[in-house]
Amino acid sequence: MRIEVLPIVLGALPASVWAVDYVSASEAEALMFPQADEFATVNLRLDNAQLQEVGKRAGLPARSAQWGVRVARRASSPLGYVVVDNVIGKFELITYAVAVGTDGAIRQIEILSYRESHGGEVRLPAWRKQFVGKTVAGPLRVGDDIANISGATLSCTHVTDGVRRIVAVLQVAHEAGALP
Amino acid sequence: MRHHRSGLNTLGQMFVATALALPLVVHADEAELTRRVEKLSNELEAVKAELAKMKKEHEQGAVQGAPQQATKPAETPYTNTEAAPGSSDTVLTSYGEINYNRPRKATENTVADLRRAVIGLQHRFDPQTKFAFELESEHAVTSAEDPGEVEIEQAFVEHRLAPSFAVRGGLFLIPTGLLNESHEPTAYYGVERNFVETAIIPTTWREGGFQVVGELGSGLTLQGGITTGFNLNKWDATSTEGQESPLGSIHQELALASARDLSVFAAANYRGVPGLLVGSSVFTGGATHGAQGVTKSRVTLWDLHARWTPGAWDFAALYARGTISNTAAFNTTLVGNPTLVPAVFDGSYVQAAYRLRFGNYGVAPFARLEYFNTGKKYDAIGAGLTPAPLPNERVITTGLNFDINQHVVVKADMQWFRQVSANNRFNLGLGWSF
Repeated sequence: MRIEVLPIVLGALPASVWAVDYVSASEAEALMFPQADEFATVNLRLDNAQLQEVGKRAGLPARSAQWGVRVARRASSPLGYVVVDNVIGKFELITYAVAVGTDGAIRQIEILSYRESHGGEVRLPAWRKQFVGKTVAGPLRVGDDIANISGATLSCTHVTDGVRRIVAVLQVAHEAGALP
Repeated sequence: MRHHRSGLNTLGQMFVATALALPLVVHADEAELTRRVEKLSNELEAVKAELAKMKKEHEQGAVQGAPQQATKPAETPYTNTEAAPGSSDTVLTSYGEINYNRPRKATENTVADLRRAVIGLQHRFDPQTKFAFELESEHAVTSAEDPGEVEIEQAFVEHRLAPSFAVRGGLFLIPTGLLNESHEPTAYYGVERNFVETAIIPTTWREGGFQVVGELGSGLTLQGGITTGFNLNKWDATSTEGQESPLGSIHQELALASARDLSVFAAANYRGVPGLLVGSSVFTGGATHGAQGVTKSRVTLWDLHARWTPGAWDFAALYARGTISNTAAFNTTLVGNPTLVPAVFDGSYVQAAYRLRFGNYGVAPFARLEYFNTGKKYDAIGAGLTPAPLPNERVITTGLNFDINQHVVVKADMQWFRQVSANNRFNLGLGWSF
């Protein structure tokens, strides 16, 4: 696993031009880890064995070997991680951010951009709260511990699958010592 | 951002320098004064040039950034661009179903049918504007001698004015019931769509016009609009089609639609509690379009619906009721024909399903109890002439959906009819949607 740490000035993150952006990536991470005084990017590169392990734990393919993870710190102590990702809803991309504590439990998810004509209710706090405190041990599945939104089944399913994949990636990377 | 900051800093330094320089001018001789004015002038020109350059770069950045982000919205420094799925401005879609219906007591009427195959596309012109289109072919072959139909099911432009507020114009699906806007075979239980949302609500029901869609932060979605409506002048009293689906027989589907009388609709759907949907809709409009010698008539259809999906359970309930006003005079001219215009028609169903998962496969046994009546009440046109109200038809459907994945479903079910038990049948279906 190759790791690069790149400190990024939060203010340098570009504002998106999407009309359906609800919160920017930098706003999301500040919202999710308000006590953090520093965010740094760790670029993970998973090897084949780790990819297989992610697939096994998440129950779906890891999709990519490379994952950018923002590590939130306070006074140099790691608080957790933020991963910003895209999944396809029904026709269009949904951009969302997942905040996970160093204990592997989900702290929060935020929908950054939603572009579908239907199913914007995945942005509602009540739906997103269902993820809080859950780990890769899950189940983190629509129709199980995550309730569906009628008319937005694909959006709900794909965001939930994406979250499950991310917590698996973080856990595998954490166990490999690639994340603090 | 950094560039802008440094530009502003430079600008600030210029102003500070200018402010500091001014008192010195008072004590300078004329040559010195001229030199300093020239210097300040040059510096001012430099500032202006830099500002113009910054402005140009900013504008170019904004313009160039828009389409780039439209196709690659993941280009924030740490969004997982490489891990993200591909996205395109134009997305091709399809859904369809092949059904097999075998009446248990009249097996000679068994049919297998490519019920519908739909090809759709969605194209995004810009971040706020997109076009949705669906072309449907029913019953596989369409010609003068064949039973098929080719239809444009949707063709509308949506423009988003604010993150939670959009306007649609064109041919679009009316937001009513649970199926009309989500009618793909993967979205419902059973080989056939339920009778209430076929005979009473003429799914897939679309009209041409405009609508606004507002998503309130609380989970409440409101839709309203003005559209074309039904045409009662199309009523064919010699056919039984009006008895199978009163509104299905007089809908216009934007095919040279009579449009003198426009209709309005409103729908409210609440999804603020995860797993719960509670909603209602109403559609009403004139249906005679100023035809000579025809009493004005209005068609109104409303519904109440709910769906609750706690864990693996999936419960749904719906009630729909339609009315056609002033049908007495209309029916008087049709006496003697088999199908007169009903004043009231309605139906409801309750449904329960339980979704089991086996790896990527899903199995959902379900049961549905429904009743519907396409001629619940007829306006009085005189003793012996007024048609007797039809009895409620009650249908019990039970079976299972087998999901190969999220996009492919195999279905099997049995249906029992109380009034016409000859219709009791076994159904098998294959559906897809992507």
